[in-house]
Amino acid sequence: MSTAPAPAGGPAARAAIELVDVSRWYGNVVAVNEISFALGPGIAGLLGPNGAGKSTILHMLSGFLRPSAGTIRVLGQPVWKNPSVYREIGLVPEREALYPFLTAFEFVLLGARLHRLPDPEAAAARAIDMVDLRDAQHRAIGGYSKGMKQRVKVAAAIVHDPRILLLDEPFNGADPRQRLHLMDMLRTMAGEGRTIVFSSHILEEVERLAENVLVIIAGRLAAAGDFHTIRRLMTDRPHTFTVRSSDNRRLGAALIAQPSVFGVDLTDGLLTVRAADLAAFAFAAPRVAQTQGIRLFEVRPTDESLESVFSYLVRR
Amino acid sequence: MNWPVAQLTLRLLLNQKRTVLLAVLALVPVLLAAVFRWGSFEEHPADWASNRLMAQIIVAALLPLAALIFGTAALGSEIDDGTAVYLLAKPIPRWRVVVSKLVVAWLVTVAFVLMATVVAGVLALAGEGHALVVVGFAVAVIAGALAYCTVFLALSVATSRAFLAGLVYVFIWEGLVTGLFEGTRVLSIREYTLGLAGWIASLSPKTFEPELAGGQSLVLLAIVCLVAGWVGVRLLQRFETGESS
Amino acid sequence: MQSSPDLAAGNIYDLGYRRYQGARLGRRQAVLTIYLQSLRAAFGLGRRPAAKIVPVALVVLALFPAALRLGIAAATDQNIRIVEPANYYSYIQILLALFVAAQAPELVGRDLRNNTRPLYFSRAIRRSDYALAKLVALASAMLFMTALPQVVLYVGNAFAGSHVWPEMRDSAPDLPRIAVSAVALSLFMAAVSLAVAAQTSRRAFAAGGIIALFVFSGTVGGVLVEAGSALWNRLGILISLYDVMRGATFWIFATDPEPESQLGRADLPGPLYAALLAALASLALVLLLRRYMRFRP
Repeated sequence: MSTAPAPAGGPAARAAIELVDVSRWYGNVVAVNEISFALGPGIAGLLGPNGAGKSTILHMLSGFLRPSAGTIRVLGQPVWKNPSVYREIGLVPEREALYPFLTAFEFVLLGARLHRLPDPEAAAARAIDMVDLRDAQHRAIGGYSKGMKQRVKVAAAIVHDPRILLLDEPFNGADPRQRLHLMDMLRTMAGEGRTIVFSSHILEEVERLAENVLVIIAGRLAAAGDFHTIRRLMTDRPHTFTVRSSDNRRLGAALIAQPSVFGVDLTDGLLTVRAADLAAFAFAAPRVAQTQGIRLFEVRPTDESLESVFSYLVRR
Repeated sequence: MNWPVAQLTLRLLLNQKRTVLLAVLALVPVLLAAVFRWGSFEEHPADWASNRLMAQIIVAALLPLAALIFGTAALGSEIDDGTAVYLLAKPIPRWRVVVSKLVVAWLVTVAFVLMATVVAGVLALAGEGHALVVVGFAVAVIAGALAYCTVFLALSVATSRAFLAGLVYVFIWEGLVTGLFEGTRVLSIREYTLGLAGWIASLSPKTFEPELAGGQSLVLLAIVCLVAGWVGVRLLQRFETGESS
Repeated sequence: MQSSPDLAAGNIYDLGYRRYQGARLGRRQAVLTIYLQSLRAAFGLGRRPAAKIVPVALVVLALFPAALRLGIAAATDQNIRIVEPANYYSYIQILLALFVAAQAPELVGRDLRNNTRPLYFSRAIRRSDYALAKLVALASAMLFMTALPQVVLYVGNAFAGSHVWPEMRDSAPDLPRIAVSAVALSLFMAAVSLAVAAQTSRRAFAAGGIIALFVFSGTVGGVLVEAGSALWNRLGILISLYDVMRGATFWIFATDPEPESQLGRADLPGPLYAALLAALASLALVLLLRRYMRFRP
């Protein structure tokens, strides 16, 4: 993951997904504003509030919106007006509508046939097994629940074993068990060297699944990279830790002497430490405790959740 | 042609409501012809069959309505509800999608309209000679259905209100404007269809006289199909999903 | 994040929600609201601009024959009677059909599509109130297609010549006829189109069904009556909704149709058309009401 230009060389050497200065506007409304990033194998999460431009980006990645400016390449090829690139792309759209009169098997089989797979029946059966839908595969989709429809869509998207998988809000309507199942499946697929991009406005999902996070706010890329890296890059914001130890008062006094620490707060026996430099503090805290002869029970970052990073970014 | 797309489109188009509606509509000319045969009509059979049954009922009403219903639904219904993405996100050239959809819409339209034309025509004209009337209108209806379906399919890619736009075209433009301003008849699929039918049926002008000559009609029909088809393909190649509302 | 004073205490805060203590306006006001909102919807008011194009364009087109006659009167200084009140509706019959075909699904289809009927039916209205409010709203909207051009024609005729008052007085008997015919046709077309539109949530099917009903019945009736002069040929005209409307209008205006026209050939008594018009409107109303009475969420 990097925002730097992709390495030179043939298409094979390029990143799987590459956006350079991509913008999209509708009339006067700018939906996506000069976004650049490149993604290799692994899972990337597009995170942002509703209306931030996540869907617009995914639509452009899947060739269903033309970028107003900039270039998009998937596996080194343009996607706009280039249907042959769909050989390597699996797409799970957000909209729920499916053909109600088809059974799940027929629908996935249709996808396999449209991809001209050599053995469409076997491919469809395999995809249906992967989403755990075998029991219901011969019932018409019209009678399916939301979560089942979601799984049918995923099965249809992976039937041709694509190298790129794009999912728009894939966890909508899934119950917790299905959610875990889908997450496992995506992790497995990413482990096989595929590039997976999904969008979500739910922080917990992105935090649990994505190795890379792309934070989109008001059509702009607000942050990109490993979640913890992003966190560390934001050094202008203090990191807060709660510390439990055998003697909070004495530890607090010792810690305040450290250059990496600029605030200590002791309320109701709870020690809260504000540090400017994450790495320096993580290095210093145990040593200070050791020299003071204090036993350190727990050092816990209070705001390492994506939620706090996110709300910080939004407020900025 | 792409068989999976064609098969899917066929199942999509022939749902129960549409089939019943079209069957009822197609039955109207047949019933009329039966009434003509066994009732007490004073008009000459060839006169009546070509001017009334074929021109007014089948070509001016049944054919455009059937083509409108199937032509706008073949691809338009999937664009409306968002399922079109499942066909378009596949490594198939878009012109193949358009052609497959078009051929199915056309064949389904022809199935209903041609059945009505042949059965009603034979009922009205059996034993009276003038078999060419039935042949002429049968061929014309097949050609006209292709032109109508192509136009309505392209329209359904261009706008989500294709059905209403098609209704306005058929009933305001072809039904009203071409009656008031003769020059606009060269832009009416109905007139092409009638011209072609009259040409093949080779009736005397006293019996049935279309506004356009046969050769001219055929050329115009071909131009309409090619232009509308090309526009439809171009639009689908540049197809963009709307905002997910 | 709001600054919370004391999280540990576990408070429930009074956010100032208030109960509504005032008078409730009740069923009448509710029905009136549905009526007004539906009337607005019939012209796309409060909807996006594209929704206004079709209804407004049709109203403008419906004025065209009146404008034509007045234009000729202005250009030639002669009041040539080419467009008469009695046959005005015939000139614009396809426009009338297109108006109800486009707007009837707009009034009832949205509630079918979005499953919002239970929201209405759980209010202080009866189900029949909903259907009737929609019917009266569409009929009121149709008055812009039927009565408005007639009134424009009437007033325009009077002002076209130099004898404004005598002209108005002479054609004054037309006024009640215009009113009765416009209301009758509007109610009839609204009832028929709503009865069709309420059967399907798909706008295209509804519009197509309504158009097919009017155009097809008109063509079939015409073909039957043109083909012979036997009684059942003449009765065939009653299949045509257009001709039933036309026959009733001529009866209201106490005018005889042209002998060569379809109505003239059919030569049926005027009250028959009027009775059939009323019967068909009632039948449509029953179908419409049944659709809503039988609805189970």
